[in-house]
Amino acid sequence: MFRKKSKKQTEITTAALPDIVFLLLFFFMVSATIRPPEELLKTKLPQADAISKVNRKELIREINIGIPKNAQFGTEPKISVESRFIDVEDVSRWAVEQKESLPENLKDHMIVLIRSDELVHMGLIADIQEELKKVNARKVVYRTLEE
Amino acid sequence: MLQQDYSIESILKNMRSKNLKQEPINSGSMADIAFLLLIFFLVSTTLAQEKGLSLLLPPKTEEKIDVPIHERNLYKILINSQNQFLINNEPKTSLEGVKEEVRKFVMNNGADPNLSINPEKAIVSIKANRGTEYKYFVEVLDEAKAAYYEIYAERVGLTAEQYRAINHDDPIEYDMYLKGKEGIPMNISIAQPD
Repeated sequence: MFRKKSKKQTEITTAALPDIVFLLLFFFMVSATIRPPEELLKTKLPQADAISKVNRKELIREINIGIPKNAQFGTEPKISVESRFIDVEDVSRWAVEQKESLPENLKDHMIVLIRSDELVHMGLIADIQEELKKVNARKVVYRTLEE
Repeated sequence: MLQQDYSIESILKNMRSKNLKQEPINSGSMADIAFLLLIFFLVSTTLAQEKGLSLLLPPKTEEKIDVPIHERNLYKILINSQNQFLINNEPKTSLEGVKEEVRKFVMNNGADPNLSINPEKAIVSIKANRGTEYKYFVEVLDEAKAAYYEIYAERVGLTAEQYRAINHDDPIEYDMYLKGKEGIPMNISIAQPD
């Protein structure tokens, strides 16, 4: 009896499957921004619990601090932005440039995302923050991983 | 001999009949191709995650302004270059219980003469040494922020996690967010390390 029934059953049409998959594909293409991983520095992020999400992605500018992956650049912590090394003194200039790239009404809302290796000393971080204060880029987010 | 007809009509007719004969393109493998692309994008892209501990740095001032702050309104956390903590002049090896202490300190409202007068005046001061590792600074900042979030969340009857996940674009949720924060500014001061 059962066999008879199952024999009658028609095949499930898979015609709509490509559409579904394409929909998924477009969703991921739109929601995921392609960002090349930081290739110059080793940045093992610290962990934190009380983290919050930054809602306005367009305001974010990233700065990396860590020890160079390539030993020829030394073993001291360095700063990198957009895959190039910069000195501490240049951070304020970089911040001004980044501010300029934003629309006039959003300039003072720029958020500097600090991606720093957990073993970097606070002295360097403080120097960077001083540079940022100089140009009134005072909103910072310490990028951390969830615990 | 058969005479070949080169008139336009005949060519068109010929083509049309060919078209009619043509079988539909097999689209069965389309799903496979799409899946392949999907998997490629899934693997190669990382969802941009902008999560972290946010902080507003103090403005740059040329001259130092001395603001009188009563000792009791200050919760001092110092970290030395050996990554050891000094909390209200008491050396500590771990940050266990600091969150609870900060909460008690902020929400004291004048009850304990050693703790803050009111939440508005309470300041959590974090000072690191130049040699302190970033990790320990983040740990301390995390504890301080967690304490504040717990206070906020409790006021609106949420858990700290729910409070942090509040959607700022939703007016009802945002109202809740503001309600939790009302009158209790997150006074976390980051002192210049020495």
